[in-house]
Amino acid sequence: MPVVVDLYLHRQSWFHRADPRVKLLFVAASLVLLLVFKNIFIMLAALILLHLLHLSAHMPGEKFLFIWRTLLPVGIVMTVLWTLFYPTGNPILEFWVIKITPYAMVEGAVLGLRIMAMAFVVFAWLYSTDQPSLVRSLVKLKVPYEWGLVLALALRYIPTFQGMYEIISDAQQARGLDYSDATGYKRVRAMMPIFIAMIISSLRASDQLAKSLESRAFGAHGIRRTYIHDIHYRAADYFYTIILLLVVAVAIYMRIAYNFGIHPIRLL
Amino acid sequence: MASAPRLEIRDLWFDYEADTPVLRGVSLTIEPGEFVAVIGQNGSGKTTLVKHFNGLLRPHRGQVLLDHEDILHHSVGALARRVGYVFQNPDHQIFGATTHEEIAFGPVNFDLPEDEVEARTVDALESFRLTEYADVQPAMLGFGLRRKVSIAAVYAMQTPILILDEPTTGLDWKSTSELMQLIGELNRQGRTIILITHDMRVVAEYVPRCMVIRKGEVLIHDSTREVFRQAELLESTHIQVPQISQLGRRMVTLGLQDGILTVPEFCDAYNDLMSGT
Repeated sequence: MPVVVDLYLHRQSWFHRADPRVKLLFVAASLVLLLVFKNIFIMLAALILLHLLHLSAHMPGEKFLFIWRTLLPVGIVMTVLWTLFYPTGNPILEFWVIKITPYAMVEGAVLGLRIMAMAFVVFAWLYSTDQPSLVRSLVKLKVPYEWGLVLALALRYIPTFQGMYEIISDAQQARGLDYSDATGYKRVRAMMPIFIAMIISSLRASDQLAKSLESRAFGAHGIRRTYIHDIHYRAADYFYTIILLLVVAVAIYMRIAYNFGIHPIRLL
Repeated sequence: MASAPRLEIRDLWFDYEADTPVLRGVSLTIEPGEFVAVIGQNGSGKTTLVKHFNGLLRPHRGQVLLDHEDILHHSVGALARRVGYVFQNPDHQIFGATTHEEIAFGPVNFDLPEDEVEARTVDALESFRLTEYADVQPAMLGFGLRRKVSIAAVYAMQTPILILDEPTTGLDWKSTSELMQLIGELNRQGRTIILITHDMRVVAEYVPRCMVIRKGEVLIHDSTREVFRQAELLESTHIQVPQISQLGRRMVTLGLQDGILTVPEFCDAYNDLMSGT
């Protein structure tokens, strides 16, 4: 049974059409901006903008839900832990060694929102970039082709290994292996026949793959490889790049020169 | 070994993706002690079908019955006592540090006494001529031997029903012949054997009954001789009967006996034809 872990969604949108290098720059710039600011309004604005970006890239509602469902518990845990263990200012509630302060609550909320926003940034990139484009963008950015191929193969083999795990698990259960009632260490021990067969099969598969690549002249010395598919910057991509760089430059300038966005509630 | 149960499938439907059924209302009965080959082109649903026999897959609609009992609520591990399953790729089951340990794995899972496990393991090693490899790491053996180890490991479980998914792939004819004789012997002892294969020569020479699957449906389930007579039907599933059967069919108009499966049968029929009997 095919197992799909590729997050890419084929859509016709400006964001999908953007050069994968632009999208890489978008990820880097967004992460820098999200880490530079600590203000709750900036985080909320960033989240709203990212939702608009996802909408303009025709992402289906179920994908929004998927991100929220997956990351919201992490965001909530971060908010709560920060509130409980990093009190700053006057407490509004105090019991035992725990002090709850409004300042820490907002700081915690900023952290939680930041995690959510970061997730939306990364998912925007992965939803809109297919694996070959992703690898091509890295190679274009002077990452050695071999490394790019390793990444492509790693992504390509995730579903294969998942499928292999399912078959091996079936094969061992068909020989009477039953670990359904076992928990913790006992469960891990019971599953060893699956893990070991997985390792043996994976090693065999990687050995065969390496030989098959080599026998198709992969890594041949003294030969420069050519590429069937190439990516090119269009006018729009230059535009996006300039806008991204400008936004980052202005934001960092505002942050350094005016302390913009470093207070959890006040903007300046 | 307990006597083989009757395996019955009633109106079985299954799909991996919604609205693309792989099995479409399959109904069949495999009698105790039957030796049946499941044949059909790639993607016809053979493996999907037999994976329902030991609970690896659960029907979306329909029933799988062992001796009139629905297996729906039995785990694969529990069903393994009655239905053994040899997977297509031996590497999907081999993990043991030694061939001996690998073969003993199934009987150990059945919580059998130590001497019984040892007896079954030694019997499997001897039957499959693997004794000299008992202390060798099975993953390091050649493909043919790994295949034998994987079958011996399920053989040692002594299940009344034994399913083998393409067990002869990658084996030379000598190994294939030895394996099929051994499987035939297990069948004569009363075990039900269900064999998925693309090798029609194996089917013609060793398997008395045949089930043809086409697009998730059982097209025909009859004696191999009767199935191989239906040349047009088989062609629709891209199955080619062995050349000796094709030659025999062409010579029916000359008076040769119909339904030839093997070379010795052809020789006998040809002799009869020549001598006018």
